[in-house]
Amino acid sequence: MNTLPPGDAMLTDWRDAAARFERAIGKAVVGQERAIRLLTIAIFARGHVMLEGDVGVGKTTLLRAVARGLGGAYERVEGTVDMMPTDLIYHTYLGEDGRPRVEPGPVLRQAEDLSVFFFNEINRARPQVHALLLRIMAERSVSAFNREYRFPNLQVFADRNRVEREETFELPAAARDRFLMEIGMEAPRDAKARRDLVFDPRFHDTDRLTEEVEAGVLDHDRIGTIAGAIQHAIRAEPAIESYVVGLWEALVRPGPAGIRLPGIDMERLVQGGASPRGVAFLVRAARVRAWLEGRDWLVPEDIRAVFPEVMAHRVFLEPVYEMRRAQIVPDLIRAVFETVPAP
Amino acid sequence: MRALPTLPLFLALAALPASAPALAQVRGVELRTPRAFGYFQGDLVQVQAEIRTDPGFSLQRPSLPKPGPVTYWLDLRDVTTEESRGADGSHVIRLRLTYQDFYVALDARALEVPGFPVTVESAGTNGSTTAVAQVPAWKIGVSPLREVQPERRDDPADYLRPDGRAPRLDPQPALASAAASLVLAAAAGLLLARDRAWGMFGRRRGRPFALALKAFRRLKRHQQGDALYREALLALHRGLDATDGRRVLADDLPDFLGRHPAFRAQARALQDFFAASRLAFFGRDGAGAAARLPLPEAESLLRRLGALERSA
Repeated sequence: MNTLPPGDAMLTDWRDAAARFERAIGKAVVGQERAIRLLTIAIFARGHVMLEGDVGVGKTTLLRAVARGLGGAYERVEGTVDMMPTDLIYHTYLGEDGRPRVEPGPVLRQAEDLSVFFFNEINRARPQVHALLLRIMAERSVSAFNREYRFPNLQVFADRNRVEREETFELPAAARDRFLMEIGMEAPRDAKARRDLVFDPRFHDTDRLTEEVEAGVLDHDRIGTIAGAIQHAIRAEPAIESYVVGLWEALVRPGPAGIRLPGIDMERLVQGGASPRGVAFLVRAARVRAWLEGRDWLVPEDIRAVFPEVMAHRVFLEPVYEMRRAQIVPDLIRAVFETVPAP
Repeated sequence: MRALPTLPLFLALAALPASAPALAQVRGVELRTPRAFGYFQGDLVQVQAEIRTDPGFSLQRPSLPKPGPVTYWLDLRDVTTEESRGADGSHVIRLRLTYQDFYVALDARALEVPGFPVTVESAGTNGSTTAVAQVPAWKIGVSPLREVQPERRDDPADYLRPDGRAPRLDPQPALASAAASLVLAAAAGLLLARDRAWGMFGRRRGRPFALALKAFRRLKRHQQGDALYREALLALHRGLDATDGRRVLADDLPDFLGRHPAFRAQARALQDFFAASRLAFFGRDGAGAAARLPLPEAESLLRRLGALERSA
């Protein structure tokens, strides 16, 4: 259903490029079509992404493949307990001549060309580091060496595993709210994909695997422009506006919306969250999805396709329910979509 | 209180031994009883005392005698009062008293029922005036139930009279009302079961498409054009939602048909419907939507789905 007006040839070309990008990543990371689609949406919505999942499901491989496909400068750091914000900004050492040297750290090394900043195991870093990251994510800038560095094309990808809890620091709500999406990754269910991953030696060497991805499928310099064009080109009718507002209301106040979950006091379930920024992000991501589907108007399916990843981490539950979050929030979101009428 | 028999027996007109102003205020006390004699042990004795006072007076209720024992042989069972205006403009207070006589008489004799005072009051602007009306003592004639020296019997049990025969009660009305109550209870139970979807009512499916069609036909009278077309699409949406128990979006159609195979016959029409609905609501293309699924077609689809849900 191609309903994009022919005048928007640029958007059409870019959609083809996005499809090529998805195919290229899909060759390296099998069985993760949904995660790849969501990452593509995040790239064109200019949003930061958090990947969450078990160890060894391919989070890092996926992000490396995406960084390669995206082109542009790429930096990667590993979160540790003793990491300090300054470690990201500069690096000091004694040179061969015995004089102290100060060199830019991972964030500043590539200067303004930095397009992908990949933060591995983000929950191992301390809150001080999270605070710096918050600034980088929110404003795409950082102050260092008496000047301000700007990263117009920067996209932050972070991952964390949800197995360990010792020596980890939960991200503050404000930092989590800055992530466009939190994508949960699981090992593929498909039997063939599983066999390939285990027996095909191609998947064992991740360095070679990511190198197979065609470099720079997307022109990272122009993604900012095209992202703005997408947001302007995709229309939202009043019906979809009221649908989104209805979803928002039902998510924050599930009790009055008539949602009942077994064994849960719906009046006390949701403490807060689902910020206006979060809902704006939701529409932003949904517009990109509509564009990828070849439409220039939003439909409820666009909202539904990105809703769990964009909204789930923005809902804060009462402490009694917080421990069972992984089970309650998906149920709540499913109930919200089963309750709010569209159109 | 039962009305007294028509032949009242004038008993007494008491000139009251009270002070001069009270005399002026209480005009007279009259006692009426149905009969003055022929009372046996256990009989109820009815008496009506009529107190006539000046206008503006009324009875002071606490001054009435309390039901309970009056003498060792007489109990007061009940007192009721009634106030009205007499023909001569006086205020009339009627006391209906019910006594019970427990006197075991060996011969016929007259016994005196004691009198009692009753206070009447008139509340004026300068405080209240009270006066006492003395209900006089009066006599009743009591009679024995049996002779003093009864005929000699060999068996002492023969002195006892045989028990009176209880009347034969007709069980028919009670049975009929029990049956009627049972039927009513069963009907109420059925209504409750239907309301709560118990038992067989739980298996009964709703008919959302029939309801949607009905609602749409009602709307048809008030609306037309684009608004009516949208209402038709909404009716179809709500019918699908209610059938599935969740919101069905266009992409959910294959799953929906999987869960409700009865509607597979209309798969193509439903596809057209979802495409038209998308265009109408989200694509700002009402004309395109109407071309894809014209209004009569939408209504007919609603009717066909209603028929399918009935046969499902």
